[in-house]
Formats: sequence, structure tokens, C-alpha cells
Amino acid sequence: MKEATANKMNSEITVSGRTFIHQHAAHCESGVTAALFRDKGVKISEAMVFGVGSGMFFGHLPFIKWVGMPITTFRSRPRTLFPKVAKRLGGKFFTKEYRNAQKGMAALRNALSDGHIVGLTTNIYWLSYFPNRFRFQFNGHNIIALREIENGFRVSDPILDHPVDCSTEDLERARFARGPLEPKGFMYWVETVVENPDFRSACLAGMKESCYMMLKVPFPFIGIKGMRYLAKQIIKSPEKLGFPEACRRLANVVRMQEEVGTGGAGFRFMYAAFLQEAAELFGSDELAELSQEMTAIGDIWREFAVVSARVVKQRGQSEETFAKAGGLMLIPAGREEQLFKELYNLLRKLEK
Amino acid sequence: MKVSEVPQDITYYEGEKRACYALNDKGKYVIVTSTGWNDEAVVNSLAVEELAEHLEETRKEVFAGTRSPLYYHMESRQMNPRILAKTAGLAVFRVKRHFHPEIFARLKPSLLARYAKALALSVEELKTVPEKRDERGNSK
Repeated sequence: MKEATANKMNSEITVSGRTFIHQHAAHCESGVTAALFRDKGVKISEAMVFGVGSGMFFGHLPFIKWVGMPITTFRSRPRTLFPKVAKRLGGKFFTKEYRNAQKGMAALRNALSDGHIVGLTTNIYWLSYFPNRFRFQFNGHNIIALREIENGFRVSDPILDHPVDCSTEDLERARFARGPLEPKGFMYWVETVVENPDFRSACLAGMKESCYMMLKVPFPFIGIKGMRYLAKQIIKSPEKLGFPEACRRLANVVRMQEEVGTGGAGFRFMYAAFLQEAAELFGSDELAELSQEMTAIGDIWREFAVVSARVVKQRGQSEETFAKAGGLMLIPAGREEQLFKELYNLLRKLEK
Repeated sequence: MKVSEVPQDITYYEGEKRACYALNDKGKYVIVTSTGWNDEAVVNSLAVEELAEHLEETRKEVFAGTRSPLYYHMESRQMNPRILAKTAGLAVFRVKRHFHPEIFARLKPSLLARYAKALALSVEELKTVPEKRDERGNSK
């Protein structure tokens, strides 16, 4: 019974009179992109979007600080997913930034009354419908505006399992928040899509780029190299930084891995879901095997999170140590390296 | 992760649920909702508590007269001087000057209004800090 009411709650009528079904997603950007394409009649899942748009990534950037700590990211740069997916599926899309908040809000109203549903980049702190614990000054959250309502907008936030109302004031602040990675009122939508897009070539392009990012970027902080670098940093951190600071750093890595919108294990499970879908698309047993391997890797990432949480919680009183946590990160590094090498070789076969 | 392994530990998301990817018993990936995970709560609460501790220290400093209420409200919005300066449209060094209580007390109403708007507060709220510790610094 609960499900029936939930479904009713999740279906919305857009300005153009179409029915919009809100779908719960693990990650904001892939969830929004998938919903925008679904609204235009392309059947595509969130995991597929994530794979086609090369969302898979790893980077540890010790020289860029966010809330005083180095950034560790498990996903590609915000705002790149949507254009990549749109290009690879051969659709026409619209993106624009605004400097002036009034103009940006007016443009949003125009777009809505033209019958589009509009993707927006926002600052998560100013979206007061979110649980307080998750409101941090982060400028890369994506939502969809469905239609205007009294004093605000009806919004589909893929992280939540139902659409919500967002006041005009909140939305304006969130869209025009200042600080690192400013959203600048960025808004986007799909204009036209090709009928029966070529998912196979789109998948290949997405996987190829992911392989490149994970294996071949000539930069020590990106991809597999970044994982190994971070693992070493974690092992050394208690001596180098002192115990409390080392705990903060470790907790921050786990937060980036498991907090809002990764689908678990820093997107590794979502990528495994993508590989599974791709395996069906190509009828390839090899891809299915890689999907299983990716799931196993995700499980190790989960274990890394469990061990790290124990280190942080027990303040060094437990048997779990930084060395063990760091060691647990080296295992997925090695296995992911192997996986992406195999995937890269497989791509040549699939291209034929 | 299997469907049965998706953590349902606590109601950590204030009634909301989160989507996780997990394998069903046929080995296919499905999206399953999770109510929360203890291990994630540990690391997230470390960050949240740290912010709250910091805010409480600042609140005491305001009462001790070493910092202005502006500094408190900046922290309660999880901003830093650079973000606040950009939001209010001022130079960073001016914003930092206004962290001194004696300078803050002499500010023109127009400047106060500017800060109030940037921090989504009323001017009255901006001039004072709460009497008691504010657990959720960022409530609206």
C-alpha cells in the first residue's frame, strides 16, 4: 500500500501537460540527466548515464582545499556529465550561465513556460528542504525545476525519493551562491533527441574515456595513481599530522566516498550496474564478468569505510589502524587497474 | 553489495531515504532505499560536531568581546571570509575588519543591511548572537 501512495506522489504534471515520473537516484547529476532524457522519450537509466558520461573517476587533490581539507573525489568534474551524455547520444541541448540573478530567474520562468523541464546547478546549503546534516556549502548539486507554484517552484531532486517544493528565495540563493565552483545560475535542458540513439557507440566512447582517466592521465593524483598516493598518505598520516588531524582527514575521505549521492562505495556499484547493462546491450560475457569484478571491488571500498569508521570512532583504541585502512585502499587500486586494462582491451574487440 | 546488505541501521536522514545500488537474488542491479548507515554516521557526525564546537567557541568569543556577531553568523552559514565578501559584494579585507566588535558596532545601516541580505538574516538578528548554544547552527 505504501508503494502505491509513493507512486502517486512521484508523478507530476509538467507545464507542457506531460506526466513526469520522479525517480529516486543515487547521484544528483546522473539522476537529473537521466530524467531530462526520459522526459524527451529516451529510455535510459541513471547507471547508463553515469557510464556514457564517463562519471567514473578518482582524484585526490592535496593542493585544493575544501573546508580546510584536501579534496578526494570519486566522480568526474561536476557539470561535465550532462554535455557528454547529450553529445554521445546525439541530442541537441541548451546550457547557459547567468551573472545577474534577476535575469537568471526570469530565464528559468521563460524556459518553464516554454514547456521544458530545466536542470539547475545549485548550492546544497541553501536548499532548506534537505536534512540539516547534509547542508554544506557545496556548489555542485543538481536538481530539476518542473513548474512554477505559488511562492516557489516544484522541484524534482533525484537524491530524495519524492518531488518537493522549493521557495523562490531559496532557489535564487542556491543558484547564485558565491564561492568555489560557483553555479552562476547554470541551467540546462534537452532540446531535441535523435530517435533510437546509438547506445553502443555511446557506451564505447564513455568507457574509453573512463579507461583513459583511470589509467593514463600523466599526473600523480588522478586515477589509479591517485589511489596509491592517497593510500600511502593515509598510512603515514598519524605520524605526519598527529592523531586527531589524521582522523579528520580519513573521515573526510570516507564522507566523500559514502555521503549523499554515490550509490555506495564511491560510485563503484553504480559503475558495476552500468557494466551489467552494457553487457546485455553487447551480449558480451566479458563485460558481465567485469561487472562482477567491479562489484567485488566496491565491496572492498565498503570495507575500507567500515575499518576507517572504527579507527575514527575508537580513537586508536581498537585493533584497526591507519595502516590497515591504507592497505585496504591499495587492494581496490590494484584490482581496478587490472579491470580497466581488461576493459580497454575489450573495447577494441567490441568496436568491430 | 547485495540487497540484504544495504544498511537500514538508523533513521539518520531525518525521515528521508537514500538510494543505493545493490544486487538482487538474481544477480541484477536494482536501486534500494537505505535509511542510514552507522559507519557513515560516525564520519559525518565528526564533521557536524566539529562545526558545532567551533560555532560554540565563537559564540563565547562574541560575548567575551573579542569577535563581532558578524563572525558568528558567517560561521553559522558555513561560510569563510572570502565567500562572505563575494556574497556581500565587498573586499575581503573590509569584511575581516568588521570582525572586530568595536568596528562592527560603528557600521552604517546600509552596510549592515548588505550583510543581513548576504546571510539571509534580519538586521536585528545580525547584531546579536543566541544566548544559548545553537546545536544546528544552520537552521533557517
